[in-house]
Amino acid sequence: MGRAATTPRPRLGVVKLASCDGCQLMLLDLEDELLAIAERIDIVEFPEASTHRSSGPYDVVLVEGSVSTPEQLEQILEVRREAKLLVTIGACATAGGIQAMRNWREHDAFRAAVYAHPEYVDSLATAQPVADYVKVDAELRGCPISAEQLVEFVTALLTGRRANLPDEAVCADCKRAGRVCVMVARGIPCLGPVTMTGCGSLCPGFDRGCYACFGPREQANVASLSREFIRTGLPPVEAGRLFAGFTGYAEPFRALVTELGGVPGTTAVPHAASAADTAAARPGGTR
Amino acid sequence: MTTEAPPFERAFRVEGITRVEGEGSLHLVVRGGAVTEARLKIFEAPRYFEQLVVGRHPDQVLDIVARICGICPEAYQMSAAGAFESIFGVDVDPQVRALRRLLYAGEYIESHGLHVYLLHAPDFLGYASAIDLAKDHRAIVEQGLALKKVGNDLMRTVGGRAIHPVNVRVGGLYHVPSRDELLAMRPALATALQQAKATLDFVAQFQAPPFERDVRLVSLRHPTEYPLFAGRIVSYDGSIDIAIGDWRTVFHEEHHEGSNALHARTATGETYQLGPSARVSIAADQLHPIAREALDRTGLAAQIARNPFWSIAARGVELIHYCAEAIDIIDGYQRPPRPFEPWTPRAGAAGWGSEAPRGTCWHHWETDARGMVTHAQIVPPTSQNQGQIEADLRDFAPAVLGLDHEAATRRLEQLIRSYDPCISCATHFLDLTVEGA
Amino acid sequence: MTTVTRSAIGFLPRADFQRLIDLLSEDDRTVIGPTVADGAIVYGEVRAVSDLPRGIGAEQAPGSYRLVDRGNDLLFAYTVGPTSWKRFVFPPTLAVSRSHRDEDGHVSFGPVPKEIPKLAFLGVRACELAALGVEDRVFLGGPYTDEDYRARRTRSLVVAVQCAEPAGTCFCTSMGTGPGVRSGHDLLLIELDDGFVVTAGSPVGSAILDQLDLEEASADQITAGSDQLAAARQRIGDPVVAAGLHDRLMAKLDSPRWADVAERCLACTNCTASCPTCFCTSVSQRSDLDGQTSVTERRWESCFTKGFSTVALGGNFRPRVQDRYRQWLTHKFATWIDQFGTSGCVGCGRCITWCPVGIDVREELNVIAPPPQVVLGNGKGSEAHSPRTSVFRVDAARRETQDTVTLTLSTPSGIDWSKLHGEFVMVSVPAVGSVPISISRRLPTGMELTIRGVGPASTILTGLGHGAEVGLSAPLGRGWPVDMAEDHDVLIVGGGMGLPPLRPVVDEIIEHRAKFGEVRIYHGARTPGDLLYAEELARWAARGDLEVGVTVDRADATWLGRVGVVTHLFDHARWDGTKAIAFVCGPERMIQATVTTLALHGVTSDRIFVSMERHMECGVGLCGHCQMGPYFVCKDGPVFSLAQLGDVFGREGI
Repeated sequence: MGRAATTPRPRLGVVKLASCDGCQLMLLDLEDELLAIAERIDIVEFPEASTHRSSGPYDVVLVEGSVSTPEQLEQILEVRREAKLLVTIGACATAGGIQAMRNWREHDAFRAAVYAHPEYVDSLATAQPVADYVKVDAELRGCPISAEQLVEFVTALLTGRRANLPDEAVCADCKRAGRVCVMVARGIPCLGPVTMTGCGSLCPGFDRGCYACFGPREQANVASLSREFIRTGLPPVEAGRLFAGFTGYAEPFRALVTELGGVPGTTAVPHAASAADTAAARPGGTR
Repeated sequence: MTTEAPPFERAFRVEGITRVEGEGSLHLVVRGGAVTEARLKIFEAPRYFEQLVVGRHPDQVLDIVARICGICPEAYQMSAAGAFESIFGVDVDPQVRALRRLLYAGEYIESHGLHVYLLHAPDFLGYASAIDLAKDHRAIVEQGLALKKVGNDLMRTVGGRAIHPVNVRVGGLYHVPSRDELLAMRPALATALQQAKATLDFVAQFQAPPFERDVRLVSLRHPTEYPLFAGRIVSYDGSIDIAIGDWRTVFHEEHHEGSNALHARTATGETYQLGPSARVSIAADQLHPIAREALDRTGLAAQIARNPFWSIAARGVELIHYCAEAIDIIDGYQRPPRPFEPWTPRAGAAGWGSEAPRGTCWHHWETDARGMVTHAQIVPPTSQNQGQIEADLRDFAPAVLGLDHEAATRRLEQLIRSYDPCISCATHFLDLTVEGA
Repeated sequence: MTTVTRSAIGFLPRADFQRLIDLLSEDDRTVIGPTVADGAIVYGEVRAVSDLPRGIGAEQAPGSYRLVDRGNDLLFAYTVGPTSWKRFVFPPTLAVSRSHRDEDGHVSFGPVPKEIPKLAFLGVRACELAALGVEDRVFLGGPYTDEDYRARRTRSLVVAVQCAEPAGTCFCTSMGTGPGVRSGHDLLLIELDDGFVVTAGSPVGSAILDQLDLEEASADQITAGSDQLAAARQRIGDPVVAAGLHDRLMAKLDSPRWADVAERCLACTNCTASCPTCFCTSVSQRSDLDGQTSVTERRWESCFTKGFSTVALGGNFRPRVQDRYRQWLTHKFATWIDQFGTSGCVGCGRCITWCPVGIDVREELNVIAPPPQVVLGNGKGSEAHSPRTSVFRVDAARRETQDTVTLTLSTPSGIDWSKLHGEFVMVSVPAVGSVPISISRRLPTGMELTIRGVGPASTILTGLGHGAEVGLSAPLGRGWPVDMAEDHDVLIVGGGMGLPPLRPVVDEIIEHRAKFGEVRIYHGARTPGDLLYAEELARWAARGDLEVGVTVDRADATWLGRVGVVTHLFDHARWDGTKAIAFVCGPERMIQATVTTLALHGVTSDRIFVSMERHMECGVGLCGHCQMGPYFVCKDGPVFSLAQLGDVFGREGI
């Protein structure tokens, strides 16, 4: 069964907005599966041939990169029209990426600092995730995305099952792998408890703390974790820096970054219950 | 004076060149058999990395700069790490340094494997893409994928993952593998070395368009090792020989209209070529003996220095070199007592470069007393090659005007791809429009 | 050399420990034991003594684990680390079955063939043995069994080690699982300075013991072993009262503490993953691209992950973190007993150590489901020594009613009320007796006492005039928690002689009026002649920021005010009690009626405070008279919250 000769192969396209190409490279990095996938899926555009969408329709489009120029905005609107399933891949497309850190800053100043002739450079004031502009049907997170999750997604597409992409903390993978918690045993700040896993708890396995490539998980309790960082001696602005990374623009990281002034060049904007205050006046207990 | 009739004009629009910080288009105007205009336009959305890193801690900066490129993240990490280590006066442990070379070797094997088999070979063999090539010659493409996989596995072992490795920090690495972990890679690398040799034999048979020209080849050169992340910046003709931090004394960046990437030129406004052809020419004596011997057997050394299409052979040579060097590093590996040297922050500035697979990636970093970044200048290799690519297209285009439109287009693409501008589409990306009579 | 027989106890010299490892490794058995890796002691393969953590210990606290160098030769001077034996008998990921679907649509299902390794667990602690026992009940004790678990369990040998160095997070004593090893082991080692006392706990263990061919352990060595155990037990103490915990916990499903924990809890699943008994899993399909061959893979999951309780169409029965924390804690400590006959917790402390924010289940249990003798209150009792009587002088005496007098008393040094707390004093009349009287006003120079003459001593006190001297104890008992009423509405209900003890509350509210919401004061007396503080009540009413209501049971000709029981002053009115705190004092029947009315207006029992009365003789909880259920009214009260009293309140014959 599966895909018999009579069933046309799904048409798949890959679209690149503002990104490093790493996520679409993951498709080429599926060394063991690439040819088998190419036999079952018609990869028609990879990467897209023209800056203007002139071909389509697609069954599936994988979109990498954040929307950062007026042209890309037009492009993603057209992609949405042409695609049955629009899937964002990677931190740039799902959360805005590292370039979204500029969203806290004054854009023109930014542009002038980098380019001698800023008037030559056409970009939007902010770098936004794709879902801010069009409806997204599914997302593969990560910086870059995970090969296992990509294969699982493609397989699920072909077999008709729900893709197994669990939304749980990196800690779950650490503990399944038998890794020792870098926070508890070594006092290294780690974003694992608030970050969705998918990388197989890579960084704790390399003796460092997680820096949230896969972005915030469901109900991420960033207030409690940042309080803990501050309680153990990290200055609040440094705690904010930790969250102001590749997925820092996604909520609830975004609000915390704003509150703590995590993006260099911004100041902290404390609200009613700022992390620094609550760290000082924690309700009863041994800590 | 004389009113000329509208000239016979052909405009070649090359769209979808990627990895000059993204995508680009080429506009060539040919009049009366001569190319009057060659402009490479970059329209990749600027991501402002040089601003994003200001105010950040150097270790976080290393994670950030990896994201400049998904294919050669190590080039950016190593160049930045070198600059910070220079500012803070850190000497990396020799075994840890060897591990960094091993990680970078993995990137070379992966990147060159990808380029030779999936991106460039189809051009030489007349296929539109590697997928199409695989329909007729599956074994060849599988060999390429297998080579690429070894490079990726090496990066995973030493760096955590192949795209955006997590293991590099100022002063060394976060984690050093055990000898057993590295030895586990040895059999695959031994096979890869054989496959790399077969690759060079394979590409050496190709028919490359006869396009030789004088060009200023530039790369790093080191007294004892094949240039990777230390040495001096030199040119093949000897006219340039400066310390690694002194790039700005000889080169500069310019901002051209229609481009979001800054072009680079020498002080006298000349173009130059970086990359495997430059390295193999400048540092042939530093190649691993196995690679040197293989290069000599092809007899292509002179061609590599003069014909950009033969960069594919230079990549083959480097594939052999890095498979062999990786094996040597693993054989000699003793796990270092600590993965990184502690360092004290201080205010300072330094320039540093490293050889990305596609050429010298040069950085200049400035820090404040707490070690935080105050200023960054990042010069990617492909933007430095841009001027030379334009010059080559201008000089080469007349040779293909006699071919049919489709063939001419493919040849121009092939020329651009010989510079390995990272992912380029294996399908047709050049749109050729004929204007005029 | 005397060969040790099956029932005897042997001694293995330290230098010979490798022999044990070698014996355990025979027949392709892999020894798994403690090793040092990544800053912790984790269970890994052990081939030589040098693989074991010699001289290493671990300091553990909530959210913190640090290895320390003890500088000795001991191999087992620590307790449990982040990994438990669970991962060897119940693997984190496991292919449990496979299926196939061919091109014609025929399907087949079958097991996944696998090799189960033979293992020896070296260094199993008492709590871990208990955990294996708990897992045996979960996986093998019901109508459906986990045969993979059974296979792994039967192919593993257990060498237990007695704990000499308990960690700061251990509480096996409370859960009844240690530190002594009782059963479930094949061999037990007790590490002393120069070697190990070895006993067998099974035929397999006896066989190994025979092969070891050891000298008999001496009496001194055996004693050293039990001393070690006693010392360990003492160090751990008894942090959690497990007896009755099931019912106490299940009665607190509405505790406000769940929300408090949820603010801190990251729902990161570290506690469930490091717990040696948590067994929740999920299954998923791994297939080839065509879906023809697939494997069902089971992996460790956690009730803390939101997706764990999601149902079709996206609904979720435990949407909040507090719901999920409550699920975990009540399952582990209460409903597990209903399901499997034992507690799910063995007191190993891993969930405390490995919680990144250091949530401590011992603390949480003691707050949410405290054992009966832990009383909520301000905890500020009187000085902890034999009570003293000080001389006070009557400065003034004012007659309130026919039989009630308010005395103003002072002492030369005055009273620093910021340091002394209490609700009543014992007033001593030499040669007559001592009586407990509630303090009806605090003064810098002393206090006022409103006394009704009902017995010999109190009658004498009501006859005292200016300059008379009496003896007073320091203030005693737990008083009204006025600070709890800040930011709340306040109801003060004093029936008869119940008003004087409440007057200091009114004083404090008036002094810091802005801190409180709406304040209502109600006083009821039998007759107009029994009303207390009439002028003061009028002054309070005249302020305009206090509502004052007065009623009498029986009016006389002059009375123009309300008639009826005191509850009538507020039972009819429409007011929202959900933000109110009530202080109630008076005859017990009046309190009962008041409490009922308050409940109807939304004042829950944890926000109603009452003053109880019993025969108080010594005033300091040493004579036994005033016991009321589990409480000493003089010491644990006289002010209690109704929630605290529970069943005790209103029950006849207590």
